[in-house]
Amino acid sequence: MKNKASLKVNLLKSTVLAGAMALAGTATQADVTVGVLVPLTGELGEFGKIVANGVELAVAEVNAAGGTKCGPIRTVIADTGGNPEVGIRAATKMIESDGAVAILGPTSGVMVALVDLAKRTKTVIMSPYAGTITLNDLGGDYVYRTVSSDLGDGAASGLWLTDRGYKRVAFLVQNEESTISPAQVARDTLEAAGIELTDYVIYNPGQPSYQAELISVLSHEPDAIYLAGGQESGVTVIKEATAGGFEGEWLFTADLAVPEIFDAAGAENLNGRAYVEFADSDSSLPEYQAFEALVQEKDGKAPGPFEANSFDMANLIALSLESADSCTGEGINDVIRGVAEGGEKVSTFADGKAAIAAGKDVDYEGASGPLTFDASGTVAGSYSIQEAKDGAWVNVKFYPASAFE
Amino acid sequence: MSQILLSILTFGCLFSVLTLSLNLQYARGGMINFGIVAYFAAGAYAYAIFTQEPPKGLDQYLFGFGAPWWVGFLAAAVASMLFAIITGWPTLRLRGEYLALTTFAFAEMLHSVLLNERRIGNGSVGLSNIERPEIGWMGIPEGYVYAGAAIILMLGTALVFRRLLASPYGRAVDAVRDDETAAQAIGKDVARLRFQVFVISAVPIGLAGALYAMITTLVSPDLFTAEVTFFVWMALVLGGERTILGVVLGTLALVGFQEIVRAIPYESVRTAQLAKSVEVMLTGVIFILVLRWQPFEALGRRSKKA
Repeated sequence: MKNKASLKVNLLKSTVLAGAMALAGTATQADVTVGVLVPLTGELGEFGKIVANGVELAVAEVNAAGGTKCGPIRTVIADTGGNPEVGIRAATKMIESDGAVAILGPTSGVMVALVDLAKRTKTVIMSPYAGTITLNDLGGDYVYRTVSSDLGDGAASGLWLTDRGYKRVAFLVQNEESTISPAQVARDTLEAAGIELTDYVIYNPGQPSYQAELISVLSHEPDAIYLAGGQESGVTVIKEATAGGFEGEWLFTADLAVPEIFDAAGAENLNGRAYVEFADSDSSLPEYQAFEALVQEKDGKAPGPFEANSFDMANLIALSLESADSCTGEGINDVIRGVAEGGEKVSTFADGKAAIAAGKDVDYEGASGPLTFDASGTVAGSYSIQEAKDGAWVNVKFYPASAFE
Repeated sequence: MSQILLSILTFGCLFSVLTLSLNLQYARGGMINFGIVAYFAAGAYAYAIFTQEPPKGLDQYLFGFGAPWWVGFLAAAVASMLFAIITGWPTLRLRGEYLALTTFAFAEMLHSVLLNERRIGNGSVGLSNIERPEIGWMGIPEGYVYAGAAIILMLGTALVFRRLLASPYGRAVDAVRDDETAAQAIGKDVARLRFQVFVISAVPIGLAGALYAMITTLVSPDLFTAEVTFFVWMALVLGGERTILGVVLGTLALVGFQEIVRAIPYESVRTAQLAKSVEVMLTGVIFILVLRWQPFEALGRRSKKA
């Protein structure tokens, strides 16, 4: 009996030792570590992959151009599943154990949870899609985003619903801050335009069915339904509304702007009558076209939503490292605003590196837009509306930032 | 490496407080509580509401008292206790699975209220930037101080529960669990004893909630789902019922496993995804192994005899 127990203890010990050695083996080389903290599972899992891909693309370009003056960039990736506690634990680990100088890619909820940690540990956190209005207050110092606030999404949606000439519109909004705040702005726009709002339903995600919510919405026969929901709930709502006889048009928000939606909800339910609104880059910009060509070349497909914002985010970090006094989060935080505005315009890391080496001040103009941070560390946004056509999303309308003035 | 240990200690000890309380309620008091997370959430929210600055700007919550951290800490204990009184009073007459269902329902209700009533804690947004005491003293990094606080809270809870259960009171509790009719026959007030155990064990859960809010600096309904309850139950089952050391070891092992898997730095999306699915499978396998050989329970029992 005693022998058996000590065997177990020994087994345990050796497992722990092996684990420790595996960890020690990955100790840092002469490079600079950037954490990529994205949801790879859960409601926003599809976006997480796109964002991580955008960052990897940029990092590959940076390292191909000889890396930053702090050395080549190494990324460490962790899945949050969209859970703030997991996010905090993973971020702490990235900062303390892996020595990450910046953390890229958290979703809204995780981002808000990380604000305090970022300021305490002097680590830059940056997101390409956290539109939450909470950051309008909290952002600016160590906290940045290469996407505009959710309020802009609401304004764009409102503009589109008005432009389409609908008379009666119903709102179905998932009970989450990132969907409610733009919906409120869109609602205000509709009310100002005198469009009748037949229903304004806030629903909780994770239900097996949304029949209860849809009964009232469908009975009022709206011309269009504005659906601000996640990928899991959204698909169910679309299917049930179609089964319930809804024949009007849809406007989805950014969460549903992924190609997977056509398989999940059925392309025949969407083609020709579904639209989606999301923060998008101006595809007429030469910087964007260069980026699009790069993605085509590397991945063999068009860039996904927020991929350009993710690419820019990583480039901004790399350029900041290049021009910062020290290879730390504090160094990045000191110069990042300067890198994003005022100076010689550059659109790739290699150009920026050369300009900085020549002693010039640079202004990074990214694939997603000119990227100038306001007081809250947020950039101004432009928006696209896409239409469902033959099982794919196709551009139909672009609202530049100037459309909202 | 030290960061991983620190994380295991902080969260392991924090959740051990919950497991210890559940151990008291279930293994000693015979009450199945499937709503542990609600008392945890009550503590965290009470702490947040009492220490939060009054609402401004886009905030939708009504109350923020801006009180110092220790007031929040006390409020957390009281809130959790009050919630235990409110939920315990009508439900403790229920037995076995009926009590399990009711406590689960109460926890879901609290979650739903916190999610939908935006005037309590900003609804789904939650309260961020939670007050935490300035503890930069003597140059000790904050992480160590919080790990220390979690250890102290865990040890305190373990000690109090141990004393309580080793006393005649503890034997009365055991008697009620083993045979209610017999306990009643020798004059024990069964309903009252059960109620007392239920309320007493809620206090440390509330305190753990407050500490959790300080560590994460955020409270939002997302953090307090039934997942927490199941996590605590898993830890209890892993560690083995009715052994304080086993319970703590079980929780530490569960948190430790999660942290170690996450500690491996993945450099590409593909490996991170793969690791995620492997983690789930591995958890299942380890669970089966632990349940088969019950190492933590054995350890706990052996130390008890000594």
